[in-house]
Amino acid sequence: MKMTPAFLIVGALLVFWASTFIIVGLPSMTMKDNPSDIWRPLSPLEREGHRLYVKNGCSYCHSLFIRVSDWDIGAERIAKAGDYAGIEPAILGSERTGPDLSQEGGEHSDDWNIAHFKNPRYTTPVSLMPSWDFLTNHEIAALAAYVQALGGKDADVRQKRQREWKRQAQAAYAGGVDRNIEWLHAQVPEVWRRMPNPYPATEAALQRGKRIYQQLCINCHSPIGDGNGPAQPFLGPPPLNFTILRRHLVENRYIGGIFYYQIMNGITGTAMPYFKKHLESEKIWDLANYLAVSFLGYTDANTEPRGIDASYEGEWQNRYQAPAVNESP
Amino acid sequence: MTNFFHKPQSAALAFMVAGAVWFVVGAVYGMFSAIHLVAPEFLPHVAPLVFGRERPVHVNTMLYGFTGTMLVGVGLYYLPALLKTRLWSEPLAWIAFAFWNLTVLSGPLGFAFGLTQGREYNEYVWLADVSLVLAVACLIVNTALTIVNRREQQLYVSIWYFMATFLWTASNYPLGNVMWHPATGAMPGLIDSLFLWFWGHNLPGLLITPLATGAAYFVIPRVTRTPLNSHTLSLLGFWLLIALYSHIGGHHVLQSPIPNWLKTVSVVDSVSMVLPVSIVVINLWLTARGFGGRVWSDPPARLVMGGIVWYIITCIQGPLQSLPFLQRVTHFNNWTVGHAHIAMLGFGGYIALGAMWHVLPLVSGRPVYSNKLINLQFGLITFGLTGFFVVLTMAGLVQGTAWHNGETVLRVLPQLAPFMVMRAALGVFILTAALVGLANLYLTLRPAREEEPLLRGEEAA
Repeated sequence: MKMTPAFLIVGALLVFWASTFIIVGLPSMTMKDNPSDIWRPLSPLEREGHRLYVKNGCSYCHSLFIRVSDWDIGAERIAKAGDYAGIEPAILGSERTGPDLSQEGGEHSDDWNIAHFKNPRYTTPVSLMPSWDFLTNHEIAALAAYVQALGGKDADVRQKRQREWKRQAQAAYAGGVDRNIEWLHAQVPEVWRRMPNPYPATEAALQRGKRIYQQLCINCHSPIGDGNGPAQPFLGPPPLNFTILRRHLVENRYIGGIFYYQIMNGITGTAMPYFKKHLESEKIWDLANYLAVSFLGYTDANTEPRGIDASYEGEWQNRYQAPAVNESP
Repeated sequence: MTNFFHKPQSAALAFMVAGAVWFVVGAVYGMFSAIHLVAPEFLPHVAPLVFGRERPVHVNTMLYGFTGTMLVGVGLYYLPALLKTRLWSEPLAWIAFAFWNLTVLSGPLGFAFGLTQGREYNEYVWLADVSLVLAVACLIVNTALTIVNRREQQLYVSIWYFMATFLWTASNYPLGNVMWHPATGAMPGLIDSLFLWFWGHNLPGLLITPLATGAAYFVIPRVTRTPLNSHTLSLLGFWLLIALYSHIGGHHVLQSPIPNWLKTVSVVDSVSMVLPVSIVVINLWLTARGFGGRVWSDPPARLVMGGIVWYIITCIQGPLQSLPFLQRVTHFNNWTVGHAHIAMLGFGGYIALGAMWHVLPLVSGRPVYSNKLINLQFGLITFGLTGFFVVLTMAGLVQGTAWHNGETVLRVLPQLAPFMVMRAALGVFILTAALVGLANLYLTLRPAREEEPLLRGEEAA
């Protein structure tokens, strides 16, 4: 076969357009842009946030679709075509250096999001995200509004829940330190409040707990556990001061179960996120032991009621004494 | 001045020099982003230097600026040389040069300040899109009229690729960039992901690949001093490329809710890409068969052959990755980043550099200042890129398998740190290679002293 100029030019174009028609022409004619069950229009502020999301290249680290095989946060709902109706551009993303955001709305409280944009390491010490504090406060608020809207109607439900509990959490905080802690304890189900830490606070366990504390907790609750980490100025109610918990043990002995429950489940409405998807059970108990030993000087690990020791656990004596009953603060 | 723009092959040289400069710029931005993946607080509070703004500058400058620009420059030399004529219009090529480089320049100037469409590989804003399409249009006219005015009857395969590149890009680019929506450069809804990845994958496939293939088809037979192995294989490779390639963008959104038939088409055609690729590679290897010594002892040809080796590696990896079962592990993570690096720098970049060094003496009439520096560049890039490939593939496997086993992204992140440190360290080699190349180019082109013997511009084979 001989390549003539006409054959080259016309042929190359013909084959190209035939091929292209299949891959973008047909879908353009057949794909419908119908909203899905969770879709809702974006508010003007959220749309502004979307522009900022696009302009600042957030999509280079955050994907916006959840696959069938995903287990990460927000992976309860697999992406549907209608979730993206009318969004221009709906960048699905190609990279997950940070988590998928398509169902992120309402996962965290508004103040958590603001602090996270100011400096991502305030809320997530291991984060690689740049600080966005060169954006104006309004722009950060817009970006946060957009992220909170991701997930549409599902996100609205979560946001509503966040705001409802935020009101109560703030009211409890305004009631004073001790009232606040009583309120927080009261939100933990009865069975957890009387549950001692079933794992021994061995040196190894405390080391593991410390590592987790440094990776996840340190910038809110601070290295000494007094709640004055760098994120504190952005959060309302501020992070809990662990050191005052010593006078709020349940029945003067139990605290492990409360820690466990609150680490696992977070405290909706406050900036305290849930860690049940990041941490396995033993890691949460180790962290609870670390908090108790380091900041309260007491852990209820291995006190009654207790079950059968796991086979790998050595004999361990709890040498931490419960505080005297009427100890003055 | 008018004389300058009419000087034969001046535009070709300008494209090649610009490519070498953009390589340095792109590598600097790559270096910054690599550092930011290790130390996010490196140069904090500098808005133009946050990862989300650096990355598009790095990617686009490397693609359009380095690989694309340099390969166009090489083509502007071999096109008239192979046709035994002059470029139809040197000033028109200069106009294309101006438009093309304005587009590339809009990257560092625009993206850094948020002037971007934000769609991966379609980031250039509308005005820059127009500028690029104008550049391509100028190149189409120039190439077509050079072909018309040729004195050589037969059209060599490099010419097909060079001509077709611009025809395809002129059709592809406005479509993928949704240029009829100037405000956002996007379609509303999920369909946008198809338009986005249509260009996202045609950029390497129908802009860089044909340019690089054309350049390799030019360099290898000249270095081995033998005719090309097979005309028929060239034909097959060319037509299969265009028949299959434009289909495969869909594999980037394989696990998203696009229609199933689209997924099937993109997977089947992605796997079929093995055919045109191996045809090109086999054709060139059979051409060089028995003349390995000539290729190896010629530093530019060594770079080109290295590019062909990377080509076959990428194009085995690519089809495998597009298989749904494997993609569950390789998608969304650094595996793909590694793949992109060996495709663009390994395949496109090696061939661009090799062809540039090969063509440079023919264009400038001066011998390359130092073959040792070319070898140094080859060594630096090869070390850096091989390292990239290994490190990023490992990091990707760690991420992909961990996520697949129920780990969260946050939990796996700290485990990537060692890989990211290695990646930044290896980036130093690539950046150094870019600088070595630019220095070598400068030393070659700086005004010659009297006693330096001038090499006569050789006629092409």
